[in-house]
Amino acid sequence: MSDAASGAPAKIRLRHLAKRFRSRPGMVTAIDDVSVEIAAGCFFMIVGPSGCGKTTLLRIIAGLEQPSAGSVEVLRRDRAKPVNSMIFQGDSIFPWMTVWDNAAYGLVLRGVARSQIREVVGHYLERTGLTRFADAYPHQLSGGMKQRVAIARAFANDPEILLMDEPFSALDEQNKTLLQQELLRIWEEHKKTVVFITHSVDEAVTLGDRIMIMTAQPGRAKAMIDVPFARPRSVLDLRADPRYGALVHRIWGDLREEVQRARAEAHQ
Amino acid sequence: MSVEGAATPELPAPVVEALDAESLLGRHFYELLSVASPLALLGLWEASARLGVVDARFFPAPSGVAETFWSMARSGELWLHTEASLLRLLCGFLVGGIPALALGIAMGLSSLLRALVEPLIAATYPIPKSAIMPLLLLVFGLGEASKVAMVAIGVFFPVAMNAVTGVLEINRIYLDVGRNYRASRWQVFRTIALPGALPFIMTGIKLGVGLGLVLIAISEMLGAKSGLGYLIWNAWEILDVNAMYVGLFTIALLGFFFTHVLNVLERWLVPWKTR
Ligand SMILES: Nc1ncnc2c1ncn2[C@@H]1O[C@H](COP(=O)(O)OP(=O)(O)O)[C@@H](O)[C@H]1O
Ligand SMILES: [Mg+2]
Repeated sequence: MSDAASGAPAKIRLRHLAKRFRSRPGMVTAIDDVSVEIAAGCFFMIVGPSGCGKTTLLRIIAGLEQPSAGSVEVLRRDRAKPVNSMIFQGDSIFPWMTVWDNAAYGLVLRGVARSQIREVVGHYLERTGLTRFADAYPHQLSGGMKQRVAIARAFANDPEILLMDEPFSALDEQNKTLLQQELLRIWEEHKKTVVFITHSVDEAVTLGDRIMIMTAQPGRAKAMIDVPFARPRSVLDLRADPRYGALVHRIWGDLREEVQRARAEAHQ
Repeated sequence: MSVEGAATPELPAPVVEALDAESLLGRHFYELLSVASPLALLGLWEASARLGVVDARFFPAPSGVAETFWSMARSGELWLHTEASLLRLLCGFLVGGIPALALGIAMGLSSLLRALVEPLIAATYPIPKSAIMPLLLLVFGLGEASKVAMVAIGVFFPVAMNAVTGVLEINRIYLDVGRNYRASRWQVFRTIALPGALPFIMTGIKLGVGLGLVLIAISEMLGAKSGLGYLIWNAWEILDVNAMYVGLFTIALLGFFFTHVLNVLERWLVPWKTR
């Protein structure tokens, strides 16, 4: 599926990606023949039932996993920058580092000048409302604050693309809404290409420019949907838009049979 | 924005006043008990020794031991022995502990190294360390080296084994973060493996220091002319029971002191574990 609609050049190109894992009863095909082009600056959402290979796909894009077949291409604009930063599913900030040191991690590893680190990290801590907690350790923070640290760490690293694996799925409804809004606000500054995984249709419609729906295992690209809402978006106002409900309803229609299929397989 | 304000109540809430006063009383009561029980035991011992209930040749009155302690401390003799033991302990600790730390963490990170070295450790660990003293005397002679080696071997095992466990217990996600941020081998070691394993490593160090004290005392009983182990052994040979108790008491004091210092060190090195 090409991205003729936006006209921007493809930032990420996945060609016939497949991944098989060795497992107890034999081989498991996690994802199968996924081909997609993601335009530069696109906030790209991947929705699918749990276990359909979303995390696997993202890890392959991140280079943490080798595909069994197919290829991943990321168009580089600045060789000095890291290709990607990932926000992992679950708690991934280091418990042994302060909020500041966590956020500065990527820059410190790369040996960026101290004054620049201070400026960049200070900026993203401010944007995530963490300035007052710079010297706190993660165990002193709530789940929402920890995810803010993970967001600050990924953005401060200044990568070419951002990969996010269900970063808000463990949060309660209120925190989730707040963080979605904050994420959009931070993303608006540079509009980097994002690949964001979720199992929540609402989240996909709220955040994304395009949504790829995946089939239940093995994960394939089932449908591609453009989200028409203008930016910058207000997460709350969006929900009052009649098109929002219609879009959520439509995507649910696509997704419902996949979720049911995934559940049926799980019960076998 | 009110968002940030909403997160503030996450910090520990103040404790209710009444509850605080009650627990304060309770804490003092237990503190009092923990001081009272050894004092009571000492009093009982003193009385028994004076009344001849226990044999004063084996269990001399604490007042007599205290007197000997004081005179040995003033003459500098006690410090001489303590200093000799501490120096051997320190050398043995560095010689055994530092390689153990490096090897343990490397083993935790590399399954290849683990497969190579783990059987060796599993085979040598159960040998009682005191049983290899004759071998060490043979190899290193009667001098300092055999004593340092004894402590080093004792410290090596708990530190290495806890370091391996510590690294293996680190959540895989942190190692993935390291890879995602392109951390070099050395950076993974320094920013993830070492700090992540530190709680376990501290446990290993505490065990190692305890074992080191045991082993230094034993090794100084064989062919040494100084140290607390020598002091105890020599006291037996000349039947100076008071001096023997001074040696035992000093070792106990050292153990108590090290435990306290290591607890403080742990709180300082592992601030994210303190609740
Ligand atoms: N390292 C692995 N080894 C074996 N099977 C795996 C591994 N990682 C994932 N899988 C399997 O691949 C499938 C997809 O997993 P995952 O990508 O985590 O799904 P999702 O993120 O959509 O919930 C699942 O059936 C899972 O059990
Ligand atoms: Mg997942």
